[in-house]
Amino acid sequence: MIQRLCVAVAIASFGLVFASLAVGYTEQNSLRPLAESYVRLVPHELGAPNVITGILLTYRGFDTLGEVAVLFMVAASVGLLLGARRRPRGTSTRDRASESRASSEIVRTGADILVPLICIFAAYIIMNGHLSAGGGFQGGAVIASGVLLTLLAFPQYQPNLEFLSITESLAGALFVLVGIAGLVMAGGFLDNRILPLGQFGAFFSAGAIPLLSVLLGVKVGCELSVILERFRPKKS
Amino acid sequence: MMELIGSILVLLGAIFHFSAGLGMLRMPDAYTRMQAGTKASTLGNTLVLLGLAFYHPGWGLKLLIIVYFVLMTNPISSHALARAAYGIRIPLAGKTGIDALRDVRRKRGGRK
Amino acid sequence: MISQIVLVTGLLLILIGLWGLLSHRNILRIIISFSLIGTGTHIVTVAIGYVRNGTAPIIDRTLDVWGAVSRVVDPIPSALVVTAIVIGMAVTAVMLAFAIRLYDSKKTLSIDAFTDSKW
Repeated sequence: MIQRLCVAVAIASFGLVFASLAVGYTEQNSLRPLAESYVRLVPHELGAPNVITGILLTYRGFDTLGEVAVLFMVAASVGLLLGARRRPRGTSTRDRASESRASSEIVRTGADILVPLICIFAAYIIMNGHLSAGGGFQGGAVIASGVLLTLLAFPQYQPNLEFLSITESLAGALFVLVGIAGLVMAGGFLDNRILPLGQFGAFFSAGAIPLLSVLLGVKVGCELSVILERFRPKKS
Repeated sequence: MMELIGSILVLLGAIFHFSAGLGMLRMPDAYTRMQAGTKASTLGNTLVLLGLAFYHPGWGLKLLIIVYFVLMTNPISSHALARAAYGIRIPLAGKTGIDALRDVRRKRGGRK
Repeated sequence: MISQIVLVTGLLLILIGLWGLLSHRNILRIIISFSLIGTGTHIVTVAIGYVRNGTAPIIDRTLDVWGAVSRVVDPIPSALVVTAIVIGMAVTAVMLAFAIRLYDSKKTLSIDAFTDSKW
């Protein structure tokens, strides 16, 4: 009873704060100065039509590197928590038989059709990051969803964890190396003018932004696939 | 005129989505809840996208492709969830009359 | 008007997630409430960046470079939310890994079973 009262008081006080936020909110009529300068600078200096990707990979590129570090820490902690799991003691033969159960035919057929489409779609999102909505992070998440579908539909499928770990580390190291190359050859860390800017709106344009998108997509995809692989029940 | 038809279709889709949520609350056990959620929300998605196609006729082909993807993925995922729930022996509702999967498995004599 | 509706929806989602977090006893439902709070926060962040009669900050056939400054919404909140969604999914994965270990140790999913550290 007391607990429900405390919960109600907490929710009511948060509700009051949120209500004052919602009442005092007025829509902006024009952009704030920082946003206006970003919208003006990204097409001119970086040559990228997509303002959001230009901000994420060049002007706020250091924050993106921090987010990549957060993802790496999450993968390491999931590996630490679940890597040492042994099969819990006291399993009967019934549980042992159920672990090698194949998935149903509907899921297998659906996976046969959907996984190529998912991979093509992920590649399209990653490569189109600088032209239209998309980018490295979103494409990596779509790759991981394709891997999840394969893990569900074919339980005997064992992704090569060594290969995934080496790929993801290489992609991360190359990302930092491209950033340092920007420091050496152009304006600053993760400056994208180390590669030619090209024609505005073409496929190979906007300097190093497509390269950074691909590296980011590969790293995020491998990271999330490794996390998903750890959740499978172990066979001893 | 096209906008009116589009708006009516989007409203119908929203009503189906609401009924999906209501069904998930009121159904007796896990399997019927999954059925209510999947069927009604897939139909709601389809109707909303069709209504949008009436609003912007130029987007028709792209919206049709999206409807195809929704129809491919929603039922498969719900089927996998229901099989998994049956596999870990979540109890069926008390009023269940027929358990078709158990009969099929017993007839085949083993796990399949 | 539009962004006010979206803002109120996001704040309501945060409140619902907070209520679910405080009043459920099953670990998996608590994790779902965390996910709800995250989604609500993303919606609130994107709604704050709306400019009246603005469109997406992507320059293509319908939006030329010179007119872009006066007709786009704020790109910065969208850029923040894009990575926040993926990070939210990864943090949910860590919480689920914790839930698996807790279940392995006590064979139950209710947090009332874990009273070891209360004094």
